[in-house]
Amino acid sequence: MEEVDWYVLFPNHHEGLRLYRKLQVHGISCTIAPTPRAVSCCCGISLVVPAEAVDEVKAVAETVQVKVEGIVPVAKRKQWKYRSS
Amino acid sequence: MNVDKHDLLCEALPDAFGGIYLSQEKRPEGMNYFNFVVAEIHGVRPTELLEHQARGGKVFGTFCVYVPDEVVFAAGGIATGLCGGSQFWVPAGESVLPVNTCPLIKASVGARLDRTCPFFRIADMYVGETTCDGKKKAWEILAGEVPFHVMDVPQMKRPQDIGRWADEIKGFIKVVDEFTGNRVTPEALHQSIVMLNNKRRALKRLYETRKADPVPISGKDALLATEIAFYDDPSRFTEMTNNLCEELEQRVKRGEGVFPAGAPRIMITGTPMAIPNWKLHHLVESAGAPVVVEESCTGTRYFEHLVEEEPRDLDGQIIALAERYMKTNCACFTPNSNRIQDILRLAQEYRVDGIIDYNLQFCGLYSTESYLVKQALDAQGIPYLHIETDYSEQDFEQLRTRVEAFLERLRK
Repeated sequence: MEEVDWYVLFPNHHEGLRLYRKLQVHGISCTIAPTPRAVSCCCGISLVVPAEAVDEVKAVAETVQVKVEGIVPVAKRKQWKYRSS
Repeated sequence: MNVDKHDLLCEALPDAFGGIYLSQEKRPEGMNYFNFVVAEIHGVRPTELLEHQARGGKVFGTFCVYVPDEVVFAAGGIATGLCGGSQFWVPAGESVLPVNTCPLIKASVGARLDRTCPFFRIADMYVGETTCDGKKKAWEILAGEVPFHVMDVPQMKRPQDIGRWADEIKGFIKVVDEFTGNRVTPEALHQSIVMLNNKRRALKRLYETRKADPVPISGKDALLATEIAFYDDPSRFTEMTNNLCEELEQRVKRGEGVFPAGAPRIMITGTPMAIPNWKLHHLVESAGAPVVVEESCTGTRYFEHLVEEEPRDLDGQIIALAERYMKTNCACFTPNSNRIQDILRLAQEYRVDGIIDYNLQFCGLYSTESYLVKQALDAQGIPYLHIETDYSEQDFEQLRTRVEAFLERLRK
């Protein structure tokens, strides 16, 4: 099965940062990442969350009323060929 | 802005950053701030600059660690770095510059002419300097686009040269006074000197943690933080870097690292790496060796030495600025033996196993100085590799072979 990363998408970076702080309080590890264009071009930032925490992240977002545009899987990159442009 | 073309850049960034940065293991939590800056690189900070302009403030774009940002901030302006680090901008640069110009200059000119970098579009005035011939001529082209001030960096470091540089700073203050409509006062200059010294202290603290084995942060991440220092709000950057340092210092206490203890420790010396030039660090660290220090303008040269904070009158402050900035050991000086001394000192302080002397293609100054660097390192028995490259990916596999062979030598 293809390995994936789970990206939480937002309408703007304010919402993204709000959820990032709330997840920290809840002890859920996450990474701020640039949003892959294949999944959205609305906002620059996304949060990458562990697969096992997706339901909990949804619940936290609902509870604190952070606007989330979706939580989507993106194929994990295994090989990286350097590209500077 | 050429929005359609700019979109191509935005499309490439998440993929490149994901592959180079997010694929790393055990990254410090504190790097999330720097991830955020990259993800919003053409969003949040440019918006802040535009808001500053809407309030009547001016934005100064700079290209070199020799330009004293303290003066700009003291006049209520904002200084922001403009150096281009991507192949994306090179073709537009080559449309007006000779192909055999260094990629940093080509990308910087291309970013302006291509209309694909908001920082280049927003800056009200560019401030260049005379640290190489390529730049001097490029400034003449850019001066046709935007108000431009050039600071004449002396080529030697005799007492009279430091005096000349103090005069240049005095002249720069006059230009900034007139352009912003705000007078640089001793009080305001003192505040900006302290603010930027604090930024230097934070970077120094970050680099101090890299002396540990195992190293608590990758060279790639440290490089990213340094690159962002040129663009970010200085006070915010200082705060976020200090937060990162607290985490790293805890890692050092616990003996935690991002590479195994005993991995060959690499120093990179030479030409600067403007964002998003992560090519060599990615190459070295993918081969299992941490980059533990950079002796470059996007490394120790940017933060070593503080401006003396004691003088409270303008003349004294100008001398303090001149003395601090003239301690930067750029290859544009002759002789530049202090740079060699810096490399040897840093090699010892950071316990490096090998040094990669990195030159951007067509940088005659650093390429020539490589001879003396090699001679000094040979005399000390420090393994050395010279690499000349550009921003493209064409030579990546050849470089990988050379770097892996070099690391194999160090592991024996």
